Amino acid sequence: MSLETIRVAPGFKEYLPREYQDLVDDGPFGRERKVSEVGSFKEAVEEHPMCAGCAMTLFIRTAIVALPSLENTVIIGTAGCGRLVLSQTAVPFIYGNYGDTNAVASGLKRGLAIRFKDKPKDVVVMAGDGGLADIGFSAVMHSWFRKERFTTVMLDNEVYGNTGGQESGMTQRGAILKMAPLGKKFEKMDMMGLAKTAGVAYIARVVPTNATRVANTIRKAVLIAREVGPTYVQAYTSCNIEYAIPTPKVMDDARMIEQQRYGFSEYFTDEAKSYWEHYERERRQVKGPDGESED
Amino acid sequence: MSESAVIEEVKTNPQGDVITSAPPPKADAKKGAASQRVVSPDYLMLQAPREAVFMTGSEAAKEAIRRANVDIAISYPITPQSETMQQVGYLYAEGYLKDYYRGEEEYGVMSAIAGASRAGVRCLTATAGPGLIRGMEVIASWPGGRLPSMLLIMCRVINAPLAIQPDNVELSYMLNTGGILFHAENQQDFYDYILAGFMIGEKPEVTLPVAVAVDGFFVTHARGWVSLPSADIKLPPRDCYHEAVPMMDNENPPIRISRDAPIQKSNFISYHMHASWQQEVWAAQARANKWVKRWMGSPIEVVNPTAKTIIVASGAMVSQSREAVRQASEQGIEVGLVKIKSLRPFPSQELVEAVDGADRIIVPEFNYVGWLAKEVRSAIPRTERVISGPRVFGGMTMPTELIMSYVKGRR
Amino acid sequence: MVMMNRGAVYEVLPGPEGILPPAATVMGVCLPEEGEGLLHGRIVSEEEAMRSAAIAMLTRRNPTLFPGPLMLWGWTEHTRDKSAPFFEVAREIPGVRIIPMPDYRPIYPKIDPEAVINPCHPNLTIWHNKIEACVLIGVHCHFANVTLKIIRGGTNCFTIALCAEAGHEDAMSSVPNVGAEKIARFAEILRLVKKEGVKPLYAGQGIIPSGWAQVASLGGSAGGQNGAFVDNGLSHHGLSHDLEHGLDENEE
Repeated sequence: MSLETIRVAPGFKEYLPREYQDLVDDGPFGRERKVSEVGSFKEAVEEHPMCAGCAMTLFIRTAIVALPSLENTVIIGTAGCGRLVLSQTAVPFIYGNYGDTNAVASGLKRGLAIRFKDKPKDVVVMAGDGGLADIGFSAVMHSWFRKERFTTVMLDNEVYGNTGGQESGMTQRGAILKMAPLGKKFEKMDMMGLAKTAGVAYIARVVPTNATRVANTIRKAVLIAREVGPTYVQAYTSCNIEYAIPTPKVMDDARMIEQQRYGFSEYFTDEAKSYWEHYERERRQVKGPDGESED
Repeated sequence: MSESAVIEEVKTNPQGDVITSAPPPKADAKKGAASQRVVSPDYLMLQAPREAVFMTGSEAAKEAIRRANVDIAISYPITPQSETMQQVGYLYAEGYLKDYYRGEEEYGVMSAIAGASRAGVRCLTATAGPGLIRGMEVIASWPGGRLPSMLLIMCRVINAPLAIQPDNVELSYMLNTGGILFHAENQQDFYDYILAGFMIGEKPEVTLPVAVAVDGFFVTHARGWVSLPSADIKLPPRDCYHEAVPMMDNENPPIRISRDAPIQKSNFISYHMHASWQQEVWAAQARANKWVKRWMGSPIEVVNPTAKTIIVASGAMVSQSREAVRQASEQGIEVGLVKIKSLRPFPSQELVEAVDGADRIIVPEFNYVGWLAKEVRSAIPRTERVISGPRVFGGMTMPTELIMSYVKGRR
Repeated sequence: MVMMNRGAVYEVLPGPEGILPPAATVMGVCLPEEGEGLLHGRIVSEEEAMRSAAIAMLTRRNPTLFPGPLMLWGWTEHTRDKSAPFFEVAREIPGVRIIPMPDYRPIYPKIDPEAVINPCHPNLTIWHNKIEACVLIGVHCHFANVTLKIIRGGTNCFTIALCAEAGHEDAMSSVPNVGAEKIARFAEILRLVKKEGVKPLYAGQGIIPSGWAQVASLGGSAGGQNGAFVDNGLSHHGLSHDLEHGLDENEE
């Protein structure tokens, strides 16, 4: 079983770097962690080179805490800021080619399903708006149409941040960015609507203003993908550099955008809804009325 | 084996065209797959008794895959490849494969192969011409990812104007990826190289994708005799924890992997690692040579080694060259032939030795650019011996008369 | 080590060979079969490869064992069985260090060359600790080869690869198919060459606190010996901090 991979061979523990010792002694493996516990255990996310004040980093850090079975998860990303922190996280991370995430995830998930019949292996794509809505669009849509059982998380900063601030399909109309010197000339792509059309089992839109909500959304998306079908989470993760948001104002911006046009919303197919209700019922029976729910 | 060679009833439309919709699997179809037993690669490839069957190249590929213990195949149609992956689909329906689907297009298919290979399963796809070029961004990244997999290439024109005819210029793009590349002459080679390729690519010191190419139509759609062992044996499964990199299954250490290292920090350290990484990919390719020798006899085949005029060819051009050698012999001219089976790793040493006594080396090809002639020139001494050509392209066949005119020195 | 004159045959010798030495494989060096080993690119008996490795580890400066992920993590019975003979080997090499390669990621913001070795820049750990003989064990073959080439290019370290698979051409000495038994055999050979008269450079010393254990002790928490054999004239944070400059570009 996969927890064996964090079992130190006899005699070696004192030679491991401190962050590994901490992961072994007090890491997030083997049981679900709540965001309210952050600070009391060793997180999977290690030191990384993301910009100070980056909302995307906050979102990813929260999302990693929320993964229901970290020791059975594989994350797939593509070029963009997100991979700079994902590659420093204690979970296998695939960094493939430009815009290939959902095609790689399809092959990976099916391959893992062949090898591990009785053990759920969670595959999570975490990539930017450019990676998913522009260059990876075909692979994203087809993975949804095929009902591939993995979660797609869009880190939507509405810009190509890592290449220096170019317009993406998810940029708001009118925004003046590189490669849109006169302002973007068409609307932000409706990926939520496209997900619904493609039959995605669970679709959610979230802003990292509320860590508990982010965590619950991710957990829901991963568990529903495991049992029902594809899931999609679209998260507003502003780029304070390219949108010139003063670092101390990043969360103010997030709250403002959330109120104006990015309010929390979620959608279940009937099958996903009935699965989730069943799951919640079971969980309450095991854990009591309060359960582990963080809402 | 003989059951699988029984030709299905062919349905045609009123115009007489063959209707190619998939026949439903027969009631007892799954019995064959269930009764297969694993044998050693040596037994399956070198020792098991064989029986000759007359079949197309696509069917030969099917028979190889039937015995290859493939976990997942991912298909996408393109002429002249479609027939092969359809056949693989029937194998899936009969239970020989555990998963199979039609991908969205070649970029998606090649990416999904990269995912499946990282999951530790044995995987297969096939493409042709424009499909290969569409998937090339991903295909070129497989070797660096150390991703064992099997890619079948049925060569066709890639240049505009769009055409489906055979022309193997696409293989020139495959020469520089770092992956292993075999070029099959005929239906028999296509069967044999696929099985050898799976085993070679998965060797721990190799751990690379393998491509087996054939010239479209000439081999895929034409029939030839293929000597096959019984269908009730198959290769051992992929042994993924004994390869050069960890699997992305979260079951093997380390927990922080970066197998696909994002070493993009702009400083000498990351350049250095990327350079060493690339060297290792090509070193891995060179290590395949030992296994090519074991399971494919030798990376080259030599006919009339003492001849002063030697033809060097690969793929279907070898068959044309054999005929030219025969015709020359009838006219009292001794002509030699070197067949290059493995284009990557390229058998430089073997080639140097094979053509050592030759004064003239003729390199006939099915493409405009003459990539094989360039390869030969870069591998051997005294390159003035190399006569680059004759070449035909755009789907033309190679008249043996044209090769003969080079042999006789008229060109 | 006395080498026979092999004419044009490519020799895999301790470096520094300069920028980008060729992979030994493409220079014609072949992997050994079971029962054999590689020494400087030549196929020799397993015994001869192990003897030369043992002498290097006993007589060269700051000998170090680099256990990789497949050694550090006891994820299978097979790997757990290798621990005891590994430490048996360590005990036979006076003054040996143990510095792990726990993973293959480019460590951010910098590596601590006293605590870890990393395939992205293994030369930093070799240089910083002035390591002149090392053993790679339990490193996935791809990353071992990447590492061995960088070490051969930039350092004078005698590299030894004890490989569970087919062996490594870019190590000065390599043995294939190494499981618990062959590791124990290496310990035995260490004892043997000492008995035959090879005098360890650091006779009388034990295992130097190294890897994280050393870093922790420098912080004052653990007592014991310090890394007395490293004499690089740099403070604890010298070299590595200098290398941090220029690491801030991540554009793709």
